[in-house]
Amino acid sequence: MRVPLAQLTVPLLGTWLVASGCQKGSAGVTTEPKTEPAVISFADCQAGPVPGEAPLRLLTRRAYDNSVADILGDLGNASAAFPPENQLLGFNTNAEAHQASPLLVSEMLSAAEGIAERTVATKLDQIAPCASGATMDCGAEFVREIGRKLFRRPLVAAEEVVFTRLFTETLAQNSYANAISVVLQALLQAPQFLYRVESIRPPLVESGPQLLGPYEMATRLSYFLTESAPDDTLLEAAAQNALGTREALEVQARRLLQLPHARGMVANFHAQWLDTAELGRVIREQAGVTPPANFGSLLQASLASYMDAAFWEKGTFESLFSSDEIFLDAKLAPFFGHAATGEGFSAVSEPKQRFGLLTQPALMVALAHPNQTAPVFRGVFLRQHFLCNEVPPPPPTVNAVAPEPDPKATTRERFRQHTESPVCASCHTLIDPVGFGFENYDQFGRFRTEENGLPVDASGALNDLPETSLNGPFSGPAELAQRISQSTSARDCLATQWYRFAAGRAETAADRCSLRPIQAEFQASGALPEVPLKIALSDAFRYRPPYVLNGGVKP
Amino acid sequence: MKLGRRHFLHGAAGTLVALPMLDSLQVNAQLAAPPKRLVLMYTPNGTIQEAWWPKNVTSPTAFELNTIHTPLEAHKSRLTFLGGVDLAVTGVGPGGPHQRGIGSLFTGRELQVGQFLDGCGRAAGWANGISVDQRIATEVGASVPIKSLELAARSTQADVQSRISYAGPGSPLPPTNTPLEVYNRLFSRLDVPVNVAAQVVARRKSVLDSVQQQYAILKAQVSSHDAEKLEKHLSLVRDLESRLGASAGGGCEKPMSPLSQDPESEPEMPEIVRLHFEFLALAFACDLTRVGSLQISTALNRIRYPWLGSLGNGHTLSHSGDSDTTANAEIVTRHTWHSQMLAHFLDSLAAISEGEGSVLDNTLLVWGSEVSKGNLHTLTNMPWVIAGTLGSRVPGGRYLQFNGAPHSQLLLSLLHAFDVADNSFGHPDYASGELPGLLA
Repeated sequence: MRVPLAQLTVPLLGTWLVASGCQKGSAGVTTEPKTEPAVISFADCQAGPVPGEAPLRLLTRRAYDNSVADILGDLGNASAAFPPENQLLGFNTNAEAHQASPLLVSEMLSAAEGIAERTVATKLDQIAPCASGATMDCGAEFVREIGRKLFRRPLVAAEEVVFTRLFTETLAQNSYANAISVVLQALLQAPQFLYRVESIRPPLVESGPQLLGPYEMATRLSYFLTESAPDDTLLEAAAQNALGTREALEVQARRLLQLPHARGMVANFHAQWLDTAELGRVIREQAGVTPPANFGSLLQASLASYMDAAFWEKGTFESLFSSDEIFLDAKLAPFFGHAATGEGFSAVSEPKQRFGLLTQPALMVALAHPNQTAPVFRGVFLRQHFLCNEVPPPPPTVNAVAPEPDPKATTRERFRQHTESPVCASCHTLIDPVGFGFENYDQFGRFRTEENGLPVDASGALNDLPETSLNGPFSGPAELAQRISQSTSARDCLATQWYRFAAGRAETAADRCSLRPIQAEFQASGALPEVPLKIALSDAFRYRPPYVLNGGVKP
Repeated sequence: MKLGRRHFLHGAAGTLVALPMLDSLQVNAQLAAPPKRLVLMYTPNGTIQEAWWPKNVTSPTAFELNTIHTPLEAHKSRLTFLGGVDLAVTGVGPGGPHQRGIGSLFTGRELQVGQFLDGCGRAAGWANGISVDQRIATEVGASVPIKSLELAARSTQADVQSRISYAGPGSPLPPTNTPLEVYNRLFSRLDVPVNVAAQVVARRKSVLDSVQQQYAILKAQVSSHDAEKLEKHLSLVRDLESRLGASAGGGCEKPMSPLSQDPESEPEMPEIVRLHFEFLALAFACDLTRVGSLQISTALNRIRYPWLGSLGNGHTLSHSGDSDTTANAEIVTRHTWHSQMLAHFLDSLAAISEGEGSVLDNTLLVWGSEVSKGNLHTLTNMPWVIAGTLGSRVPGGRYLQFNGAPHSQLLLSLLHAFDVADNSFGHPDYASGELPGLLA
């Protein structure tokens, strides 16, 4: 068996750790074996597409529910009892991490039964009409038609025969509705539905990268951009074998990006990238301060609104990191010192107090302790999530305790030991001076200029980053955000995060031929919606590696 | 009697009503020997040593329980404290101490290389082996409806710091956090008439037969790597099908459904822990499963226990200095509550008669944590305690010292206690026989 984790080489990790000079070796990442050539040269990329692996991918809960909703009209949130997908690199879309378990298999049985029962009870006439009364024919027709949608391609004869037999045998002792229900239960538990199959083994050994087949292409595109099964238009295009060119694919991709599911997908990406899942029930406290009920959930919605506007309306990387807006509803507005507005969340400007995504209340609250700010969390988060720069771990013996709030000191003063002790300083000079840049935001995400009656000093520094123009002291959050908004590595990082989310794996050396042009275009355009689009049009997305002989045996 | 069982599920908030005698155990009484059952219990971030280990110890069998274990006084004769057992295997492989500790705790294995980052940026993957509960479930749980039941309170994340049970290398088993889902899985079919139940089983079998044929068709169409993945899934479908016919003990009645709980809710956490333990006791009583685990929070553990007045973030509390008596008292309070929950569970099992004794007589519970001293991330002298004697296989009322024995010895002893005849368990470099003297 292959060792999938060994493929997850993240070139950025290793290179930077070596440069940092602190705690090499203990992180595990530096000793990771590489199964691929570390460098793919420009010439390699010029020679043609260099696609990465195209493994089977088990549907996420979201993709399962969307598919069932779109194909069967079942809105029962059927996957509610499925265990959460295993996360990797912050995303739950990872092909190797998300795997079957006894609980999942058991819950998928229950879910399939529930969906089938609801469907035949409420819309048998729509999904399996049988006006002729020729129930055998109707059953076979149902297998072909719903099977094609659930499997995202026409069934092959061997598949069809199994389901038709199940239908016939059930019908012999049960009603038509029961037989339809039973077949639907089987279809919903079939691996052709549960797994996205993007690479069908050909009869002959291949050489060179292979364009995805039309149905595999439709499936990959649809589950990336809408987290659901291909719709009728896309299936029809696949049937016409009309997805083979970049141009044809672009037409479909742009169409899908207009659909409501695409907004859901983008929001899902943002929530995972920004790691806001745990924010929902966050506890933040301070004597005399009472945030509104469900503070964390409201902040999640606030950040989602901000990201939605940044992506779909403003649309540029620079505005994402420089806007002075935050999004508030009637409950949050008074807490942040604004007049309550109407329904839902709307934008409020806080000039000279907010500087884009980095200073959004939701992030400042998520990256805090219950009773104080967390410069270390904030510094690490900025480096990891926005610069794709891994922070080396502390020595194993270090006691990583946040000092208790001291009513007579500022947070910065209390964390001084980090940078005064030589052991701590080796790493904390990389972290704390970044985090101090956010000291203008308390654990409730409110802007402040004083802490415990003392003036807040939000100056800091970025140190030892590979993009040297980022390095150096800054005066406060405005300058820090300004530097990130102009950063090339921050743009590359966002493109990389999208790529991991889309591909369902960490980028490998082979992916660089596709990722580099995507990053280069993003550097030039700064257009956020172009990133997922360009990923969908990249060679890595359109091609798969060939099936070759492996020691005389086909893989 | 049956009314009593309903009351048991809906006892006054905050107190468990002990299980009455259950009709279902007549079934087990007919078995040649009562089934053996295993429970793993996990609580995060180590303990406060001074309040954990027995005190006034004059001999391995003469000691007093310490503060944390006072709620277990009635069960003292069933407790075995294991001093000086180390997670030696954490000396190899990647990851931070919490990751290494929780990954190795019940597997005896190092972590795989991977990309889960701990709070300090250390990276690791999943544990590199099967956990002891799953090895035992393969032997004792072959004929019951559910091979094993993984339960958790506030462990809704899906990374290495949130998993204790593994089906194999890199294959963590996700726990269920919501009692209603546990209820549905265990009891939804219990009140179905026998003839209808037989129809449901027949229908499910024919559906799963068709599904298995689809796996065979698809496997032939994909790469060997993908086929392996499908085979793994298929084996789970086969296992599910093989258990469809297994039924609960006759006379085992469907309890009333619990209210829907929010698995991440802070105020509902005590009720969730209580319901999990109650359902596990009922699952044992009905012989629905013989192996279970309950993990309380995760190694990340950024949670509060407001019903105890403990308002600190658990992980931060565990990092407090030895002189921080306030923080340490909060931790002791939490563990004392864990002991209290455990005591209720043991009471429940003791109230279910089985053969000449009770289900508790045929159950072994092992309680562990991923570090021993939170503020130093110590991985030696781990806070292990065993509850239950498994007949007379593990004599209770003892405080044993093992002077730095690797915990793979403990895990192997557990296998042997369940008559699993393996010669070693866990990482081969740390496998060196049983924990001497643990088993009678």
